[in-house]
Amino acid sequence: MAWELATFPPDLLGEAEARDGVAIDVVPPGSPVRVTHVLDAVEPRIRPDGRAAFPTEGRAGEGRTNRLDGVVVLSCLDFPGEERPLHEQESIVDLAGPGAALTPFGDMTAVVVTFQPAGGGHVAIDAEARRVALQVAEEVARPTLEAESSEVERFELRPAAESLPAVAALIQLSDLGALYIQYVYGAPAGDAALPRVVDPAEVLDGAVTCGEYHWAAMRNPTIFFQRNELIRALYREHGKTLRFCGVVLMRGYEQSADDKQRAADRAAAVAGELGVDGVVITTDAGGNSHTDVMLTCRACERAGIRTTIVLAEETDRESTRPILTDWVPEADSIVSTGNVEEMVEAWTPERVLGGDLLLDGTPADTAGPIPVRNYLGAANQMGQLALSAKTA
Amino acid sequence: MKAVHYLNQFFAGMGGEEKAETPPTVLEGPVGPGRGLQAELEGVEIVATLACGDDYFAEHEDEALAALLGHLAEIRPDVLVAGPAFGSGRYGYACGRLVAAAAERGIPSVAAMQEENPGVDAAGAAYVVPTAVNVAGMRDALPRLGALASALASGRELGSAEEEGYLTHGFRRNYVAEKTGAERAVELLLAKLGGDVRTEVGGDLDRVEPPAPVADLSQALVALVTEAGCVPQGNPDRLASVRAQGWFRYELGGADTLASGRYESVHGGFDVTLANENPNRLVPLDTVRAFERSGRVGRVHESLYTTTGNGTPVVVATKFGQEIAGELRDAGVQAVLLSGT
Repeated sequence: MAWELATFPPDLLGEAEARDGVAIDVVPPGSPVRVTHVLDAVEPRIRPDGRAAFPTEGRAGEGRTNRLDGVVVLSCLDFPGEERPLHEQESIVDLAGPGAALTPFGDMTAVVVTFQPAGGGHVAIDAEARRVALQVAEEVARPTLEAESSEVERFELRPAAESLPAVAALIQLSDLGALYIQYVYGAPAGDAALPRVVDPAEVLDGAVTCGEYHWAAMRNPTIFFQRNELIRALYREHGKTLRFCGVVLMRGYEQSADDKQRAADRAAAVAGELGVDGVVITTDAGGNSHTDVMLTCRACERAGIRTTIVLAEETDRESTRPILTDWVPEADSIVSTGNVEEMVEAWTPERVLGGDLLLDGTPADTAGPIPVRNYLGAANQMGQLALSAKTA
Repeated sequence: MKAVHYLNQFFAGMGGEEKAETPPTVLEGPVGPGRGLQAELEGVEIVATLACGDDYFAEHEDEALAALLGHLAEIRPDVLVAGPAFGSGRYGYACGRLVAAAAERGIPSVAAMQEENPGVDAAGAAYVVPTAVNVAGMRDALPRLGALASALASGRELGSAEEEGYLTHGFRRNYVAEKTGAERAVELLLAKLGGDVRTEVGGDLDRVEPPAPVADLSQALVALVTEAGCVPQGNPDRLASVRAQGWFRYELGGADTLASGRYESVHGGFDVTLANENPNRLVPLDTVRAFERSGRVGRVHESLYTTTGNGTPVVVATKFGQEIAGELRDAGVQAVLLSGT
C-alpha cells in the first residue's frame, strides 16, 4: 500500500474558526515569544479525499495527505481549579532565545491555540482541547486543497533483498491514566490492542496523537509522530543497508511488575513474528517508563532480536553516577537524547502566550534559567532531534 | 598572567617525612618542579609557591585549606597548579582538595597525579592531568600540565578531556550531535548487528540484594514507607509534588485507616483523584491494621515515612532511603511495606 504526503508552503496558512474559550495567535518564525503550558504540537494536515487527517476510524497511511510545511499548532492549557493536575510539570516552547535551539519550533510559524476552559473537570477539558487542537490543525491546512504542492513524497515498502538485516521500530506509547495517555486512532494506548504491528505510514499519517503531559522534554508530541525521524530514516535505508519490516506499537507505563514483564514479552513476540534481526526501541516519558523499555530490551535480546534503545538521561548535574533510572545488562546499545537536568540560560521574551505565570507561580517572562526538562520535546526519546550528552 | 603552584614539603625542598607536619607556607616564585613547570607555561608566571606538609594537611584539613585559600585570595592568580603528586595518596588528596576548593571559588585550577590516586575524586570540578605512578614520570607530566594550566589561565574554553589531556570528571554534559538520535540509533543497531556493539551511555546501577525473609512476621514490627507523596490533608510541611528535597515522618497515632479528607497525595506524577478518594490505596494502613489484629503481623510502627518519588535523581533518592532506613533500624523495625507509584 502506498501513501503520498504532499508538501505546501507556509504562506498557505488558513484561518481557524472562532470558538468560545479559545484564543488563537499566529506568531511568525523566530519571534521573541515564549509559549507556556503547551500540551501538544501538531503539524497542519488535511486530506483531499475528505477523510479525517487524524482518523479515529478506518486506516491512515493510504492515499494522499496534504501538509503545511514550517507551521506548527501549539495547544496551551492551564488546567483550572485548586488541584492543578499537572502540578509543576511546565511545558515551554521558546520561539527565540537560547531555548529555541532546543526544539524545531522556533523556525516555524506558530499557531498558538490557548484554551480558557469554563470548567468540567480535567478529563473532559483535556478531551476537548485535544479534539480542538487537531481540528485547528486541519482547518488551517484547508487552503492547500486549492493549491499546487511543492513536493510529493511517496511512502511504500517495496520488497528488499533478503540478505539485508531485517529491522523494525518498536515505539512505546504511554498510558498512565488521565493526562498521561498517547492515543492510537483516538483510543487510549491501553485500550488500543497493543502491542500490534502497523504500517509505518500509519504513524506518519496521524494514527498516533499525543495526550501525554509528563515531563515536557521527554514528551512525544503529535508532530514528532507525523514527522517521525526514526521511521523516515528506516524508509531511507530500506533496500540499502536494511530491510524495514514495520512498526510495533507497544504500551509503556504499565502499572505492575507483572504487567510490565508481560507487555515486554508480548512486544518481543510480536517483533519476532515480523522475523526481524534487530529493533530500535523508543521511549515515552520518564521514570517508570524507563523500566518498561529496559524489560522490553531484555525480552527482545533473549528472543534473539538485537536492540538499540533511545533514551534521555535524568542525571543530577553535580553527581557522576548513576546516569540512568533503570538499566539491564542487555542494554548495551543506547542512544542518549540528552540530560534533561541541564539548565538553559535565562532569556526575556517580549511576549508570553499560553499563560503569564508558570505552573510554579513564577512570571514566565522573568523566570531565569529553565531546565531542559521543561522544553517541549527537547530530549524526546524517539530520536527526533540531535541533542545528546557525553561524559566530560 | 599569574600562576600559583602547590607542592608538599618534600617537593618544596623542605625535607622528607620529618617535615611532614609543616603548616602552609608561602615561597616566592617557582620552587623544585615548579622551575620545570615554569618552562612549559606560555604567558604565565609562577609568582608564588604554596607548600604544606602532607601530615599537617591530613590532620588539620580545615585549617590548612583555610590558610591556603587565604593566600590565594591575596595573590589572586589566574590559575592554580597542584602537584604532580604521582601515586602519593596523602599528597594527591591535598592537591585534590585544594584545587576543588579553589575551583569552587572561581579560580581555574588543575592538579596532576596518577589516575588511581584518591586525590582524583577529591578534585571535584577542577581538572586533573594524569601522570605516571612515581616521580620518573615528571618529564612526561610537566609539558601536559603546563599546556593545560596555560589554557586555563588564558580563559579560553577547553575542549574535551581527550583533546586537552585531562581526566574526565564523569559529569554528563549536553551537546548537539551531527545527526539526529534516530539516525544514530539506526547506525548503532546496524553496527551491533555487524558485531560492533557501541553505546552513548552506559548503565551503572546499585543492585540491592534482598535480605533474608523475615523469620516470623507475627512477631515483627512493620513500618509503612511510601514515595506516593501521601501527607496529612493540607500538606502542612509543603512536601513537593515533584523533585522532593526531603522526606517526612508522620505519627499514625493508632489510626486504623488513612481516611479520605485526613490524608492526601501531592504526587505530581499521576492523576491522584482515585488515590485521594481512599489514601489506603497508596499506603495500605487499613489492611495492615487488620493483619495486626488477626496476628499476621506483630505490630505496626506508628510512624509513616513519606516522600514524593517523581523526577528524583537516583543519587538523591538513595540518600533519602539511607536516612529513612537508619531511623527504622534504630526503632527496631524488622520489615517495611514500601509502596511505590
